[in-house]
Amino acid sequence: MPSRKAIIGTASTLSVLLAWEWASRSGLVSERFLPAPSTVLATLWSMIFGRDLLYHAGISTLRVWGAFTLAALMAVPIGIAMGSFRWVGAALEPIVDFIRYLPVPALVPLSIIWFGVGEGTKIFLLWLGTFFQLVLLVADDVRRVPVEFHETAMTVGAPWWRRLTDVSFPSMLPTLVDNMRITLGWCWTYLIIAEIVAANSGLGFVIWQARRFFQTPEVMAGVVTIGIIGLATDQLVRALHRRWFGYLVR
Amino acid sequence: MSYLVFEQVTKVYGAVEVVAPFDLDVPEGELVAFLGPSGCGKTTLMRMVGGLEPPSSGQILLRGERLKKPDRRRGMVFQSYSAFPWLTVAQNVAYGMRYRRDLSAAEKEEQVQHFLALVGLTDFASEWPNRISGGMRQRVAIARTLAAGSEILLMDEPFGALDAQRREFLQLELRRIQQEEGKTVIFVTHDVEEAAFLADRVIVFTRRPARILAEVDVTARLGASRTLELREGTDFFGLRNELLHYVRSTASEEEGTA
Repeated sequence: MPSRKAIIGTASTLSVLLAWEWASRSGLVSERFLPAPSTVLATLWSMIFGRDLLYHAGISTLRVWGAFTLAALMAVPIGIAMGSFRWVGAALEPIVDFIRYLPVPALVPLSIIWFGVGEGTKIFLLWLGTFFQLVLLVADDVRRVPVEFHETAMTVGAPWWRRLTDVSFPSMLPTLVDNMRITLGWCWTYLIIAEIVAANSGLGFVIWQARRFFQTPEVMAGVVTIGIIGLATDQLVRALHRRWFGYLVR
Repeated sequence: MSYLVFEQVTKVYGAVEVVAPFDLDVPEGELVAFLGPSGCGKTTLMRMVGGLEPPSSGQILLRGERLKKPDRRRGMVFQSYSAFPWLTVAQNVAYGMRYRRDLSAAEKEEQVQHFLALVGLTDFASEWPNRISGGMRQRVAIARTLAAGSEILLMDEPFGALDAQRREFLQLELRRIQQEEGKTVIFVTHDVEEAAFLADRVIVFTRRPARILAEVDVTARLGASRTLELREGTDFFGLRNELLHYVRSTASEEEGTA
């Protein structure tokens, strides 16, 4: 039996889609501006063969994951250091806080001057948008590890570095995975900006191309593709979270 | 030689004096209860034994050696549940020995089984801490501390969050384990009955800054063995009432309810 929650969710999504379909078909809004969901879906299907949609989606996903992995690999150790040692936190927080508030699009010109229009610019912009957010989240998570956990470790003879690996890290891991799931979503925002400005591949490029020829169904199919990838990734990470951190369930 | 000695120990936070110069001798194998109003500084004293906070002045000696940093000899059992949620019950107990090099893997495994049996958790060895009761989680913490090989157990109101029935059961359990393993225990509580029932000796504290208001030798009056029958007898009530009077006298200073 599907749960009540699942039934309500499906029903409401279906009603929105039906209302949209009806609005476009009945001529209430022009198909030029808002093509019906069925049209978008058909376009999406044809783009897989006609416009190498899967290739572009793959390129975009690779860019997101590449930049995100780089950001996470740096943010986790640095964030743990910031949260564990007061002086590291004091030294890095002002810089991190400053850069965190810079809107990524504002740095696009600078990034192109530095890295040109190749992959470097895209990776840099995505990294910029996620690293500085993630590092602060990690630092906060480390600080929230219960002090009793650390004191327990100390009184069974753990040296400080073993407290980082044996207590801080496993204790914060569930929230870390959650925070990564959320920041990974932000990555897509920056990716599209980067691909619109400087790319000849990727979903952002596809959407921007379609706009130039006023191909509204293709624009929307591109957007929907991003939505599908985002939703799938999110659900995958949620499932892994439930599997890995089942011990949290009371 | 004396075992655990407090010598003129004080603690000052900024302008607040938390512990007044404090002297006490605790013989090996004694279960001593620190009884006093909340926030009186008794927990601070216990944390100083554990090396989790340094005294502002004075010193704490273990067999003549001045105690500083925390180590395996003094284990803590906290009021909040401190079993690691990402480890099973057995793994939590094993964590107590994680940094011990004096034991082989096989010996560690054997010790885990021994302490699980001692605290009555053998059947729950592979459970997650979040799925067992609060009382069981405190038993995990006690077993972990024992596995670490701690000779002194520092317990900070460990049964404070439990209902009366579980509390009484765990008090009996703790007393039995302490007698079997010959451990020295400092047990911090604000529950008069708990102190009277558990301890060999009760130290009653004044309000902050912590000073000794009274000292009651429970074992001299009730004997070392503690049973539920004893708890219902008149000797126990007499002792409990005596402690209650001391505790009331500390409350009246502040609340004016003399």
